[in-house]
Amino acid sequence: MLARNSQDVALDARDVVIRLSGISKYFSVVAALADVSAEFRAGEVHAILGENGAGKSTLMNIISGTLQPTDGEILFEGRPVQQMTPEIAKSHGIGICFQHPAILDDLSILENLRVALPASVFAGAKPEDVGRRVLAKVGLLIPLGMRADGLTVAQKHLLEIAKALALEPKVLILDEPTASLDQDSTDMLFERIREVAAAGTSVIYITHRLAELRQIADRVTVLRDGRVRGTSVIGEISDSDLVGLIVGRTLKSAFPPKAASAETESGLSVTGLTNKDLKNVSFDVPRGQIVGIAGVAGNGQPELMRVLAGLRPAEGQIVLRGRKLTQPELLREAAFMPSDRHVEGVAGSLTVRENATYSALEKFSTAGVMSRKKELAQVGAIFSELAVKTPGMEAPIFALSGGNQQKVVMARAMLSEPGLIIADEPTQGVDVGARFEIYRILREVSEAGTPVVVNSSDAVELEGLCDKVVVLSRGQVVEILTGEDVTEERIVAAAVKAETHGDSSLAVTQPSAGSRLRDLFRSDNAPAVPLAIVTVLLGLYVYGQNENFFSVYNIYNILLLATALGFIAMGQTVALLMGGIDLSVGPLAGFLVVVASFFITDDSSTAMMLLGFLLMFAGAFVTGAINGVLIRFANFTPIAATLAMYIAIQGCSFLLRDNPDGYISASVTDWVNWQWGPFPVAFLVLAAVALGAETLLRRSRAGWRLRAVGSDEHSARRAGIPVELTFIGGYIVCSLLTGVGAIMLMTQIGVGDPRQGVNYTLASITAVVLGGTSLSGGRGTFIGTLLGAVLLTEVLNAVTFLGLTQTYQYLFQGLLVVVAALIYASVGRRKAH
Amino acid sequence: MSAVSTTPTGADRYGAGRMQLTRSFVTVIFSTVVLLVACLVFAPSSVSWGALSGSLPFAAIIAIVGLGQLLVVQQGGFDLSLPGAVSLAVVVSTHYPQQNDGLLYQAVLLALAFNLAIGILNGVLVSLFRLNSIIATIGTNALLYATVFAMSGGVPSVTTGLLANIAGGETFGLPNAVYFALGATALVSFMLKKTVAGRRFEAIGASPAAGEAAGLRVRSYQMMAYVYAQLFYCLAGVLIAGITREPTAFQGDSLLLPSVAVVVLGGTSLLGGRGFPISTVLAAFFLNQLSQFALSVGVPYSAQTIIQALALGFGIGVYSLRWSGKVRKTT
Repeated sequence: MLARNSQDVALDARDVVIRLSGISKYFSVVAALADVSAEFRAGEVHAILGENGAGKSTLMNIISGTLQPTDGEILFEGRPVQQMTPEIAKSHGIGICFQHPAILDDLSILENLRVALPASVFAGAKPEDVGRRVLAKVGLLIPLGMRADGLTVAQKHLLEIAKALALEPKVLILDEPTASLDQDSTDMLFERIREVAAAGTSVIYITHRLAELRQIADRVTVLRDGRVRGTSVIGEISDSDLVGLIVGRTLKSAFPPKAASAETESGLSVTGLTNKDLKNVSFDVPRGQIVGIAGVAGNGQPELMRVLAGLRPAEGQIVLRGRKLTQPELLREAAFMPSDRHVEGVAGSLTVRENATYSALEKFSTAGVMSRKKELAQVGAIFSELAVKTPGMEAPIFALSGGNQQKVVMARAMLSEPGLIIADEPTQGVDVGARFEIYRILREVSEAGTPVVVNSSDAVELEGLCDKVVVLSRGQVVEILTGEDVTEERIVAAAVKAETHGDSSLAVTQPSAGSRLRDLFRSDNAPAVPLAIVTVLLGLYVYGQNENFFSVYNIYNILLLATALGFIAMGQTVALLMGGIDLSVGPLAGFLVVVASFFITDDSSTAMMLLGFLLMFAGAFVTGAINGVLIRFANFTPIAATLAMYIAIQGCSFLLRDNPDGYISASVTDWVNWQWGPFPVAFLVLAAVALGAETLLRRSRAGWRLRAVGSDEHSARRAGIPVELTFIGGYIVCSLLTGVGAIMLMTQIGVGDPRQGVNYTLASITAVVLGGTSLSGGRGTFIGTLLGAVLLTEVLNAVTFLGLTQTYQYLFQGLLVVVAALIYASVGRRKAH
Repeated sequence: MSAVSTTPTGADRYGAGRMQLTRSFVTVIFSTVVLLVACLVFAPSSVSWGALSGSLPFAAIIAIVGLGQLLVVQQGGFDLSLPGAVSLAVVVSTHYPQQNDGLLYQAVLLALAFNLAIGILNGVLVSLFRLNSIIATIGTNALLYATVFAMSGGVPSVTTGLLANIAGGETFGLPNAVYFALGATALVSFMLKKTVAGRRFEAIGASPAAGEAAGLRVRSYQMMAYVYAQLFYCLAGVLIAGITREPTAFQGDSLLLPSVAVVVLGGTSLLGGRGFPISTVLAAFFLNQLSQFALSVGVPYSAQTIIQALALGFGIGVYSLRWSGKVRKTT
């Protein structure tokens, strides 16, 4: 090493907070990281620089405990950490802002803060005040009660940063934090970063932008293909050396040569494209040229790609080789390479071969019948041409590296013989070697006469690959660069210079008038009001036909039946809130009644009865625990696990009793069915439990966790929520509530009958759905469930009072479910818009 | 690697060309053989010709509804309208003709019309209105039972002689229902694995988002899964009406769980995607034979159910262990 100046010595004298030694991470056979060693010191900003797919994010996930390294060691303040988990990382004071913010859409802003931050942050002050202070640090002005799904991407990033800063972390990891921020927010963020670094925090800053590096970092480590290529103090290394380290070869030689002659014949011509996200976009793709789309993230580039692929409608004209295309024609002509490869690019459970062919199957068939020979021959040929590296045609697609997956996507595009190729971020998550192959292929396709449009957030890539670059801002074309002007500087300048870039709206205007009403309408409890109204109206109508309907006896009767269903449905609500389902509640309730029939009889002593109740809850507990463990640790889907449980429990019931026997104690029945006016006391208890559960759901950490894991398990895990524990706990609560329901059921059946109870599975789901809880998880309401159970019972009862046949019982039940589901679905969609 | 090396033998380089046996198929075959050996050793009566021809029709029916459920599961759905659909087909084909052979074919057509209508309704609710399949089919199941009650009043009716001959008879020593099941299996296998539409159906089930991005008509494939499924429920219902002399109005209720169980045991993921029709049908035979075995060695009904649950749990366990390896690698 060369002689150092005084500043460097000062830098090196600082304490090392985290030391990585020999970290490797393999995904199946692909190495994401190999033998990475690095030191991160207190009070300095250490940038990790590298291309997409160089392993930066993997490294951060390992430091923050989200991923476990295959090999190597992490030392925190000199002590080795045995196994890093998100919780341990948090307890060590490691805060991380993910590239995809770990924000839970179904929770409010304040709930997002409170579920992710330790209680100590909120100690001693009103949570709202703390929340506002945390947000103010990053200049975020948003109502705390607002649901996070209403935030823009930039706001979510700032919220994520606010969360990390609030921890006053020893180590702060920022993963490409400025990707979707505008200049003002970026400046503000840099100021904050300098502040926390000055206060002694070790900041790890991940980026692929050289310009930012000079502004913020003290030291830089460059990664390429999962290996450390060099570490340096920022003042000691030139830009060209850095680029050399990042790319591994000089830029010029990396890209294929550009189009030789300036052809004038137009391949694709786009005029006046306008829709929600785009304004009057026009450009031209001359034959043999590749056109790039650039801009700051969030300015309409992906939307433009989708319009060009025929996936989104837009006004304006798209002319391909002189023929004007409608949207369906465009959909057929264009081959789209989506940016989110894992979701839209490949189908994870299919093989390499199947992934390569699903859009071009007609090419290998006669009269709709596939020819395996043709398929194999053509796929083999195209794979050779694109140099796809795969263990075999029948290998699962995820056994391939990102680059080879992308080549399979390209193979599919080319097999369908498209008239147009639309590549959205074609090299995202692709290793360097494969990137240049992909550039070569795109160039060859373009030379063969197929117009190619590429969207990329990487200006260097656009400079190297494209003959022409269209720069977008706020959905408008702000500049079209051609020939010599296609340089990184010009592209970035054009994108940033435009005054209206990024989504700078960091404040959400809070509706003042009637906002409480709107809050209620938007809240998860919104269905309660219409449900209550329907319940009352139905009651009044039936009362009009038969006045016995409102007799004390009948009201008591309806509510008593609703109580059993209500408790079981409350349990089901817990399962659905987690995005799961519990099919075993019905048989479990029946089984517990059978258990009770041995202990809670007229001949039993008090001790015996207590034992019976104890055994009921023990049975419920064990059932819930088994369900939870099967789902979380044995990887069963909730349906599969609880279905197996359904069958097993039913068997257990029959094992205990072949035929109905064992009469439930009359005195216990009297106690449980205790009447107060027209109300069963048990129903009042149910109502109290529902209100209590609702409060817990909104105001306790357990409630937030429950909704968080249902909302987005991955984000919840990254936010440091103990996901496994929450799920298993949730299933146990579900079974315990079913146990309470079984106590009600026991007094209604009065005897241990192994055939009873199973109907409660579907009935409980029906009640929950009526109540407005979503089956996709994260959103739900116990109050709604309670009302759903009452309404369902009321409908069944009303049918008898109206003198109708069983036909109507089923008819009303069916209509109720379908209509309610349709209404909730359409309201949900309208809210989303 | 240097660039263009296009050779006509490209396919060989990628080591393909041979049909690979799927693991689920091997697992199911292996378990079935083990079970049959156990039967021969411990309970020879359960594999006697008489026992088999008595139980095979029921295995055939589980196989047929299993195939219907399979198609829905492949699209990531779940069809809870199966009990109502089968019961309605049973009721229509017994109550409508009232033992008059001449009215039988009209009855079957009527049953088909009902089932198709409800299939379309399911499909529209799930694919067009984006309702959760569980909710939608809970609702339509109730509507189906409303129709069942409207037609039958909930009481059983005696089947027609002709239907009893067709569905309950034997040809070349095998129960006719078995031929229907084999035919259905061959049809589904061929359609799924060998036709453009079937391959696309599987790809869309594996990833609707990827299908959408590739410009495929995702919603219509999803919708058709529910319609096709109803065809199989209808077939099963009509067969039951013939096999049972006086079928009840709730004949379908006992078929829902087995239909899901055989799909799962057949190795198809409940998350959708690739389906294994032959393994599903074998699983139906396996489950049926398991009960027969338990019955002949004198195990009570309760224990039988527990054995089935264990088999199901074990089956899922075998498949999901493999899954977990794959999932961890990709996240």
